[in-house]
Amino acid sequence: MHPCNNFYQAYRYTEMSILVLLSVLGVVLLYLGLFNNRGAIAGVSIAGLLAAFVLIAANWHLESPLFNGIILFDTYARSYSLVMIVVTVLLFLFGIDYYARVKENVAEHYALMVFSLIGGLLISSYNNLVVLFLGIEILSIPLYVLAGGKRDSFRSGEAAFKYFLQGSYASAFLLMGLALIYGATASFDLATIEAFSTANAGGQHLIFLLGLFLTLAGLAFKVAAVPFHFWSPDVYEGAPTLITAFMSTVVKTAAFAAFYRLIADLQLPSAVETMLVALTICTLFLGNIVALRQTQFKRLMAYSSIAHTGFLLLAFLGTDARTPDVLFYYLGTYSVATVGLFIVLTLAKRAALGDEHIRIFRGLFRSNPWIAVAALLMLLSLAGFPLTAGFVAKYRVFMLSLANGYLWTTVFAVVMAVVGVFYYFLVVREAFTPSEQETRAIPVAPLNWLVITICGVAVVVLGVMPGLLRM
Amino acid sequence: MIAALLLLIPFLTALVLVAARPAQARPIALVSSLASLAVVLYAWIGYSGGMVIHYDLDWVNAWGLRFVVGYDGIGLLMVILTGVVFPFIIGAGYGQAVDRPAQFNALLLFTQAFLFLVFQAQNALLFYIGYELTLIPMFFLLLLWGGEGRRAITMRFFIYTLFGGLALLFGIVYLLTQGNGNGDFTALAQLSLPANTQVWLFWALFLAFAIKLPIFPFHSWQPGTYYMAPLQGTMVLGAVLLKMGLYGVYKLVFPIVPAGVEHWRTTVIVLALIGAVYGGIIAFRQNDFKRLVAFSSLSHVGVMCAGLFAWNAYGISGSFYQAFAHAILVVSMFYIVGAVQERMGTTDLGAMGGLKGPAPRLAALFLLVVVNAIALPFTQSFVGEWLMFAGLWQVDGWLSFFALTTIVLGAIYVLYTYQRVMLGPDHANAALKDAGTRDHLYLVPLIATTLILGVYPGPILDLLDAPVQQLLSSLSVH
Repeated sequence: MHPCNNFYQAYRYTEMSILVLLSVLGVVLLYLGLFNNRGAIAGVSIAGLLAAFVLIAANWHLESPLFNGIILFDTYARSYSLVMIVVTVLLFLFGIDYYARVKENVAEHYALMVFSLIGGLLISSYNNLVVLFLGIEILSIPLYVLAGGKRDSFRSGEAAFKYFLQGSYASAFLLMGLALIYGATASFDLATIEAFSTANAGGQHLIFLLGLFLTLAGLAFKVAAVPFHFWSPDVYEGAPTLITAFMSTVVKTAAFAAFYRLIADLQLPSAVETMLVALTICTLFLGNIVALRQTQFKRLMAYSSIAHTGFLLLAFLGTDARTPDVLFYYLGTYSVATVGLFIVLTLAKRAALGDEHIRIFRGLFRSNPWIAVAALLMLLSLAGFPLTAGFVAKYRVFMLSLANGYLWTTVFAVVMAVVGVFYYFLVVREAFTPSEQETRAIPVAPLNWLVITICGVAVVVLGVMPGLLRM
Repeated sequence: MIAALLLLIPFLTALVLVAARPAQARPIALVSSLASLAVVLYAWIGYSGGMVIHYDLDWVNAWGLRFVVGYDGIGLLMVILTGVVFPFIIGAGYGQAVDRPAQFNALLLFTQAFLFLVFQAQNALLFYIGYELTLIPMFFLLLLWGGEGRRAITMRFFIYTLFGGLALLFGIVYLLTQGNGNGDFTALAQLSLPANTQVWLFWALFLAFAIKLPIFPFHSWQPGTYYMAPLQGTMVLGAVLLKMGLYGVYKLVFPIVPAGVEHWRTTVIVLALIGAVYGGIIAFRQNDFKRLVAFSSLSHVGVMCAGLFAWNAYGISGSFYQAFAHAILVVSMFYIVGAVQERMGTTDLGAMGGLKGPAPRLAALFLLVVVNAIALPFTQSFVGEWLMFAGLWQVDGWLSFFALTTIVLGAIYVLYTYQRVMLGPDHANAALKDAGTRDHLYLVPLIATTLILGVYPGPILDLLDAPVQQLLSSLSVH
């Protein structure tokens, strides 16, 4: 026990109190909705999230295993939790304006996102594969509902159904994989499995190998790695924009946190390594190439999200001590840029009466110069231009994979990065080309303006001073 | 202090211009560029040889990125070039009707700030950052103020250059993983990688510069972009941006992968000369003044690159000397293009002729520029070309011969152009204005520079001598 932590003794299980706090928050939100207290919903949820943030940040040095050690809130878990909470807060701030136009079920949306976030916290802190599975289900099930959030929209329903169906398959894969791993190692405990993998480093333990394959396939589905990506463009397109933003930031971050937590200390059999390389190359290729042909902004972002999955997977190859930090930085900065862009999209889409074609950005620089510049900064960051956070992120990934000897995979990734720049700049080109028609300024609520500004400035600040965002 | 001023003056002025959008944007930009020029000249006067480091600060050491800025003789020459050329580039705007001048000039100044960063960076990553950043203002200059077909051409230019840039980044990251992670040029030069690695790494590092210059066969973005760009944008591209290619080769390729250079340099020289001759021939066939100058630039660049890869004292010094001369030439040539366009309302050579009648002084000024363009003795270009031919001669007489043909070709197409614009059938309106005060203010200093440095090249050659000798002696150690 930490000597100067008398006060916190009562909160020995801080981590648990965070999970409890967030669960209660979700229930309270549902009640607020029940009593039609719409004005308070966003405020209460943001306050609750901030309280969770403070709880995590204030107890940074506590590291107590929970429930017989099946959950471990270590620095890794805390860092990811903080980022996920911050991004959710940004989204909720935007939600104030976004949900002002929605008539019903607003409280349920907030509550489901909070529940999903709890799943995210669980899968970034699990120490036992059962918790991994539980967390993934807690993360996913609210999302199946949320994807269908626009009840009168055909595409939204389609998205929900597609997501649910394919998500169930993935869960089945995952569960089968976990069972096989259990069969091989007789344990769900991460440390035991790691020990097993080290002991069997040379040998080919078939059941274990199969278990890993299936588990990783399940996780690859969650991070939308090719060939497990088919749900992502349709779901991104069909889901309400705020939910799309949530999925492509918080959920993605959580899924990667879980993915890496599993394989971080495993001695991966060479067949699994090969599988990861193949996943990386396929994901990089397909994500970037197909993104080139997209004209709908949400689909473009879906494929760009797949492409970024590819770069993140590249960091998985031949992991070393720097990997967690590299991943963390990448996911954090990617999320910030993505959130801002989705907000800009929503505003532009609203002004264009629901159109999602990238031409709705045309003339943005004329009509809303600052919004256009902020969007430019975020796009530059996603494209990986120097002095933005995205550059640092990509740079570190390349450095990592080169240092671990993946020369040709890195060369391939660099080529794909050029392709990536192209489609982001198609959007930039639209935003900065003057429109033929009279352009009217897109109305931007002050709070939205603030969030966009925060995101736009953050990608530059984090790019110039990358030390600010680390574990 | 000097480095900080050079980086901050243009950058802050540009920010002010973007944010405030004042009506007097152009004079403000001009004053800013003149202030930078004053700082540059002060730096030149204070320079006493060797490597001057102004700042040596840690940034993110863990990934080899450090803020090290300073210059040796060649770096200083590039800084001088940037400082000298930009007042003229901004000044050229006085003849042009540009909408949204505040943003336009701000982008020019951003470019200048990033260029100063590139030419002063002593760390490979810092160099790369500046190198890529120059692309962004150029992208907007081309996209928003370009001519016909700008949307497609801008993207092509952008992606082409960026592809080279990312290859360069890959090369740098590879170098960092091979060494102890220190990205300073001095540290990278100590690496001495195995020869077979250098052979492929050469292209990772050189590709960016080959595209930026551009040399054959990486040139296909160039003529269209030069033609489509607004006049001042073309000046930036031709006068300064492509010099980053030469400088990059000197800084990042020669000292770091000497064995790769040894392996590929004949190939590069041949490609560069093919481009040079090809550019000259195509230039001759052009019917558009601006396009013609663009192709002539392609031709000049090819010779410069060949001279650089001659890899001896004559060749390298000549190449950089010519880089400076070429910058002055490009600016004055394009200014003439603008001046002629202002009067005739077109850049189509077929519709021109007889301009000398109503505008004899402009014709005289043009002739003085032409003299430099065809590298007549006692002009700046002559010194540069002569040094490069001497350098190439040491490699192989035939190479020198092919390089020389570009001079002949140059003389043909430039004089032919002069004839078509100024002499020949009379298409000019007798009421056209002759060169006025503005034109004289603009062209006379440029012409004077070319003539003075043509007769007395000492000041520039002094800058080049020491670094070239140092480079060559360090190579002979390898």
